[in-house]
Amino acid sequence: MAAKGMNLCNVCCLLLYITTAVLAGRDFYKILGVSKSASIRDIKKAYRKLALQLHPDRNQDDPKAQDKFADLGAAYEVLSDEEKRKQYDAYGEDGLKEGHHGSHNDIFSSFFGDFGFMFGGNRQQQDRNIPRGNDIILDLEVTLEEVYSGNFVEVVRNKPVAKEAPGKRKCNCRQEMRTTQLGPGRFQMTQEMVCDECPNVKLVNEERTLEVEIEQGVRDEMEYPFIGEGEPHIDGEPGDLRFRIKVLKHPVFERRGDDLYTNVTISLVEALVGFEMDIAHLDGHKVHIVRDKITKPGARMWKKGEGLPNFDNINIRGSLIITFDVEFPQTQLDEQQKDGEDEGSVEGHPGTSVLTGLLLGKVTLLHDLPLGKMPTDAKEMSIYQADGCNF
Amino acid sequence: MKMEIIHAVHVLVKSLLIVLLWSDCEGRESELDYVTCGSLVKLLNTRHNVRLHSHDVKYGSGSGQQSVTGVENADDANSYWQIRGKPNLPCQRGAAIKCGQAIRITHMKTGRNLHTHHFSSPLSNNQEVSAFGENGEGDDLDVWAVQCDGTYWERDEAVRFKHVGTDAFLSVTGEQYGHPIRGQREVHGMSSPNQHNWWRSMEGVFIQPNMEPLHHDEL
Repeated sequence: MAAKGMNLCNVCCLLLYITTAVLAGRDFYKILGVSKSASIRDIKKAYRKLALQLHPDRNQDDPKAQDKFADLGAAYEVLSDEEKRKQYDAYGEDGLKEGHHGSHNDIFSSFFGDFGFMFGGNRQQQDRNIPRGNDIILDLEVTLEEVYSGNFVEVVRNKPVAKEAPGKRKCNCRQEMRTTQLGPGRFQMTQEMVCDECPNVKLVNEERTLEVEIEQGVRDEMEYPFIGEGEPHIDGEPGDLRFRIKVLKHPVFERRGDDLYTNVTISLVEALVGFEMDIAHLDGHKVHIVRDKITKPGARMWKKGEGLPNFDNINIRGSLIITFDVEFPQTQLDEQQKDGEDEGSVEGHPGTSVLTGLLLGKVTLLHDLPLGKMPTDAKEMSIYQADGCNF
Repeated sequence: MKMEIIHAVHVLVKSLLIVLLWSDCEGRESELDYVTCGSLVKLLNTRHNVRLHSHDVKYGSGSGQQSVTGVENADDANSYWQIRGKPNLPCQRGAAIKCGQAIRITHMKTGRNLHTHHFSSPLSNNQEVSAFGENGEGDDLDVWAVQCDGTYWERDEAVRFKHVGTDAFLSVTGEQYGHPIRGQREVHGMSSPNQHNWWRSMEGVFIQPNMEPLHHDEL
């Protein structure tokens, strides 16, 4: 009797424990691995990355895979919706009013397409006997800013879907050879069209929203496939929808691999005495440049780590290479300016007159330098202009 | 009696609320009502119920360029066209196309632009409409203006396409081709607007505009 009582007690305790655990609610931010202040874009990015990792088909040995995947879906459903996120932040999971109505499948397929990624690798092998609808390729133009910071593009896909209809239709029609006997030992072969009977289908247009991720460091011509979102085939499977990235030219920066190239024009004075400036980068942050030596036209400055993130490892970045162009005065210097007596400015450069004499002295020096001699500063490389200066 | 009425109203309101809340759950309505820059669409001629179509088949007469036709079936990827800006004036991805805006209509599979010029169409002797160019680049006769009422080109609205250059309207009048494109209708340009030049967007991939700015200056 005592043992029975003990068992009952254990069961009660277990039930109590379970209910409290369940009621305590899940930490959705932790499940997605994002901070409480994460933007919607960060949340989408986190979901997409984790969905690929945690999908049960990928984790067939893990008994908890289904639950982890379901948690991920629930977390995304709440945190990606402004209203629900507010409710969750205030009251926790228990405070969510409506409960979960969207299936995780819907969320998953808006990132990867109807058939998900499972068929992605196996598609070729399974394909041979099943007819497939056409593929659709959309050239998606992206800006360099999006390549630098990443982005999500929402797209509405309206597509024809095969639905059951009343009646039958002819399908799998093919030509077959029929042999008929005309007499003893005499046969005739004819070609005949033979069809099977299949349930009737009609095409109905359906709509859904897809999320395309522009990953950081993405390169031109890379493709993002959405399996099953292409054109339908009434006797088989739908084709795929693929987004092909086309990186647009940028007015300020030029991309070469992971490196960025840009040109900056400095004044004659700055070229001689040095300068300090900020360059606005693709995401708005400022790159600070300081130079206290002479800068020749065509000189380049290398800024490590200020290029684009590498697609395969976004912790590695390319470099920003700045090429300096020197702006010469537009009008000729008058006698006074040449003598250096005029304390005014030439073309808005105060103090130029003082330097003119310096300039003449410097010119001699430059001409004296042997051609092809490069500065030994390891951080910067300059291109020596063989033309020299004409005054 | 009063209490009963109040109670009934209370129940009614509550059930209405539940219905409303639940219907919100059913699935998001499409928020995108407009055709936007960069989108892929199929265009249906509303009078003759055929979709604008092209393929790697050249006209046997006229310019000899790639032919443009109207087809009945709805599941051919060769009926997809991409909406793009004018040459040298790209439109912003996801921006809704305005009524009156000049665009290019590029055939997805072959990369050629919807094009018309002073050649005769093979069946009806109207103005020939062809697909011209390579990789989306052709010439100035690739540009069409979207004619509609209102501000933007709405997805479920019938619009007209007027050619910039020859002022012809993209039309179908029903003439059918024989072999090898049996049953396909002739698509041509006509000089005046009429019931044969209404088109509306059907299936497609519609790009939404960017929601957030890319860098957070305001923080």
